[in-house]
Amino acid sequence: MAALDGPELADADPLRMAGLREDWVELLSSPGPGHEDALARLHALLLRAARHQVAQMLAQTPAIGEVRREELIQQAADEAVVSVLGKLSSFEGRSQFTTWAYKFGILHAAVEVRRTLWRHREVPLEFLPEPAAVGSSPEQLAEAADFSHAVGIAIDQVLTAHQRRVVLALLVDDVPIDVLADRLGTTRNALYKTLHDARGRLRAHLTSAGYLAPVNTKGVNP
Amino acid sequence: MNGPHRELTPEAALRLTLAAEPWLSCDDCFEQIDEYVERVLADQHMGMPAMHAHLAGCGACGEEGRSLLLLVAEDEGIDPGPGLRRLAAG
Repeated sequence: MAALDGPELADADPLRMAGLREDWVELLSSPGPGHEDALARLHALLLRAARHQVAQMLAQTPAIGEVRREELIQQAADEAVVSVLGKLSSFEGRSQFTTWAYKFGILHAAVEVRRTLWRHREVPLEFLPEPAAVGSSPEQLAEAADFSHAVGIAIDQVLTAHQRRVVLALLVDDVPIDVLADRLGTTRNALYKTLHDARGRLRAHLTSAGYLAPVNTKGVNP
Repeated sequence: MNGPHRELTPEAALRLTLAAEPWLSCDDCFEQIDEYVERVLADQHMGMPAMHAHLAGCGACGEEGRSLLLLVAEDEGIDPGPGLRRLAAG
């Protein structure tokens, strides 16, 4: 596949690009004049999105060498092209085509970075001590510590073993959701549902115990 | 579980008890994220509370949503700051 990169895309004639936006779906859907050009431009768009995403995660990616990083970007862009072409019929024009396409490049790159960073790491599913809290005033620290302690106890009392494993891995040990999904043989969607249900149980328990206000739809006020 | 409970940081306790309502799945968030980001940048995102709740409650979707907003803002030549603040505030 031809590989036009970001700068080449940026240098393209804006009028031509504006016109192309209108025709993206048609040009990509059927062979004919402009099809190959549209494919090359789609790949360039998705390379840009993948490169952008990897740059956004740069703080996490020094552990990934430059060569591997570039491979990852190219791989994510290629996979995103396949995803975009497979989903073309679902594009309804509720956003610009470029915004719609970018999200596939960002998703594929982000997932691949997370997987790469955790490829040789154990996913901690055991119970390990948390680092000490850093806080503000002594009163706020004491209140927060009390709430944190109550949440810790509630995790043991009201969550199932599966819910405990998932919420602690995701929110305490910071295991990326895609990595945890891979290790547990499930999906991001399913894990987020587990997390959502567990949060509901914790909130209900802590509300009845007086740690949370009975009606609170905007957040947590311990 | 029979073992002792874990001591949590205040930040972890807040993440664990976040009220991420109304419910939205990661797949549905992905379906709508392009439209939502453009609306946030245009300050016309009211009426999509489930998107805000999901992006606050799901670290991966939140990270990808912020990244998409930055990329689109760069394309449009606009300052992403207000959009990022609206994304965080809902």
